[in-house]
Amino acid sequence: MTTSTATPSDFLSKASAGGSLRRSLGNKVLNCICVGLAFLTLIPLFSIVFLVLKNGLPLLTWDALTQLPPAPGNKGGGFGNAIVGTALMVGLALILATPFGILSAIYINEYAPAARLSNAVRFVAKLLTGIPSIISGVFAYAVVVLATGGFSAWAGGFALAILVLPTILLTAEQALLGVPKAFREASYGLGATNFQTIWRIVLPDALPAMMTGVMLAVARAAGETAPLLFTALFSQYWIQSLKEPTASLSVLIYNFSTTFDDHQKQMAWTASLVLVILVTLANVSAQVVFRKK
Amino acid sequence: MLETMDQSPTQSASSSTTMSDQPEPRADFLKVVDFNFHYGKKQALYQVNMEIPERQVTAFIGPSGCGKSTLLRNFNRMNELIDGIHHEGDILLNGRSIYDKKIEVIALRRSIGMVFQKSNPFPKSIYENIVYSLRIAGVKSKSILDEAVERSLRGAALWEEAKDRLHDSALGLSGGQMQRLCIARAIANQPDVLLMDEPCSALDPIATAKVEDLIHELKRQFTIVIVTHNMQQATRCSDKTAFFYLGKLIEFDETQKIFSNPGEKQTEDYITGRFG
Amino acid sequence: MNQTHILTTFEDALRALRNDVLMMASLTERNLENTRKGLFERDEDWCNTVIADDEEIDTLEVQVDRDGINIMMRFHPLASDMRNVIATMKLSVNLERIADQAVNIARRARKLIVRPEVTEIQGLEPLFTFSDLMVKDAVRAFANRDIELARGLQDRDRELDEMNRRFAEKITDLMGKKVELIPSYMDLIFMARFLERIGDQAKNIGEDTVYAISAEDTRHMNRIDGK
Repeated sequence: MTTSTATPSDFLSKASAGGSLRRSLGNKVLNCICVGLAFLTLIPLFSIVFLVLKNGLPLLTWDALTQLPPAPGNKGGGFGNAIVGTALMVGLALILATPFGILSAIYINEYAPAARLSNAVRFVAKLLTGIPSIISGVFAYAVVVLATGGFSAWAGGFALAILVLPTILLTAEQALLGVPKAFREASYGLGATNFQTIWRIVLPDALPAMMTGVMLAVARAAGETAPLLFTALFSQYWIQSLKEPTASLSVLIYNFSTTFDDHQKQMAWTASLVLVILVTLANVSAQVVFRKK
Repeated sequence: MLETMDQSPTQSASSSTTMSDQPEPRADFLKVVDFNFHYGKKQALYQVNMEIPERQVTAFIGPSGCGKSTLLRNFNRMNELIDGIHHEGDILLNGRSIYDKKIEVIALRRSIGMVFQKSNPFPKSIYENIVYSLRIAGVKSKSILDEAVERSLRGAALWEEAKDRLHDSALGLSGGQMQRLCIARAIANQPDVLLMDEPCSALDPIATAKVEDLIHELKRQFTIVIVTHNMQQATRCSDKTAFFYLGKLIEFDETQKIFSNPGEKQTEDYITGRFG
Repeated sequence: MNQTHILTTFEDALRALRNDVLMMASLTERNLENTRKGLFERDEDWCNTVIADDEEIDTLEVQVDRDGINIMMRFHPLASDMRNVIATMKLSVNLERIADQAVNIARRARKLIVRPEVTEIQGLEPLFTFSDLMVKDAVRAFANRDIELARGLQDRDRELDEMNRRFAEKITDLMGKKVELIPSYMDLIFMARFLERIGDQAKNIGEDTVYAISAEDTRHMNRIDGK
């Protein structure tokens, strides 16, 4: 009698009654694990921020941003020249790398996407994104420092340029790929040349995404130390010319954190804080610019 | 009893173009001669011969992959954007070969307008979309550009809807409006021929009807070739119809004849839905 | 149905079709008038005119047919559009048949005219008037989309059938009494028959009009009544 009057919904509820408990328990456990791991990943990030803030904030004064580095044993001073130096060399890197990167991306995507050269460029660029940063420093040393006979901001900028060029190129290529094919078709259909299509339609549309790539490059370049160690070296003074050794935030942090001077060690934290702020700003502006699209 | 008869429409209000001063329309305005076309090793068109008359609407119909879009895109040499293509035979526009070395491809494309299946306005303002073809041709004068915008929008039956937002983004228009904008853009430089590749397949019935009504107006000024997989659209819009199958032109005749009494059995089978 | 179709070519084609069939209706009615004149005024010229003018109506029927098929092929009308086009094409057939009946009457009238006048011909007048009015009303119902007027034609046709039956009975009676007038009486009976057929056609027009307006098929409902 039970079987003849049982309805499908009975079976369903019976099946769920027993297994649902098991299933929801399993679900909850997995949920907890995932949430827990997510929090775990936040810990290092927040620790860094917390530590840098805690240790760097005390000495973050206007002086710190505008004064020259203190000699060992002195109090006060700052790292104004290092900020300027970082800004200069990152700027140099951008000036050198951005045109190369964007124009190359335009070539390999718009003019000759299937050519062997384009494939080679893509392959090499992907390889170079993983290059140990010290290698670019060594390369810059050989090409610029030895050739010009001295350490300079140029060399530093060159080293950073090599570092960020692959990134700029690849993100520019992605940006170009992101432009719908339909736009190009419409442009060609109206009788535009390759150049007109790229200049009037493709580039304007791809620009926000390209700028993201550039901003990311800035963020990376600003924080690199190894390439600058033996290209730009360091300087205790305000920069007078691009042909001389130049201070940078990353090298300053390196130098100050390995001294015996407590004040300088403290300065290192503050410089780190400033560097973190600058990098964050660069990343955030990259997001904002991209969102504008 | 005669008073219940409706007033028969007088010749509908003429647009800015006058028909009386145009020369006699050519029956072979677009002429295809022994045309074969290959995508690399794959042949897509076999010995196509046809004469498309001036200032009429010619429809290309046929099942998917029959070559109708391929032939259409050859008229303005858009297929050359693809690598590895080659052709034999010739295509003549108003008596001149489009492959003539003395003609630049971009000049050819400027004299032929194209509207695509999915409307593809540039992410710019309505105004900039329309004047694009003039700007790339070097036109700078604002008065000329303004005139072209109004003329094209009126020609595409979009002026009333767009005139107050010419500098708003084109992407804010509805689907049907965007397609009419693409039509306006295509006719801005006053081409001789208008190519339309399934222009209504992404539109709802009302928008489709508006575009079809527009085509009827446009043919007074332009020679129109329309590829459509919708046979009913061919019967509504076209004067002549060409039926393609597997890269060959099977039949090409007056639309009235093709759809009421086709000469070829294949045509009849396709039209009545017996295959394809 | 105040909005026009977006596709002006469709709108124009429908209008042209309607105008053609209304022109045809107008010619048919004119022919009926001329038949009346020829018959009751014993004027042979009018009869000849009717027979000659029938050609024009035949030509229009072919035209309407062609136009209708063209519309079906090009625009594949749906719903009320489809019913209207079909009703229009059927209307032209019915009008052509009415015109043929008018020709038949005119031919018979010619024969009647050469023989001495029979007074019983006056008995045909009410039938003629009645069926003529049915035709006028049928066309008016079609043109103005007057469904009640169209529906009413079924009853009127029954009445016309009754009138015809009574007339035929009366004349058949008389045939026994005045044997020498039998040829003329035969003509009268035939003409009454033609008028009855005209009424049938008008009723058909009414049924097609009802269908066009409301998609209701009211044909052959007479059989249900047992008539």
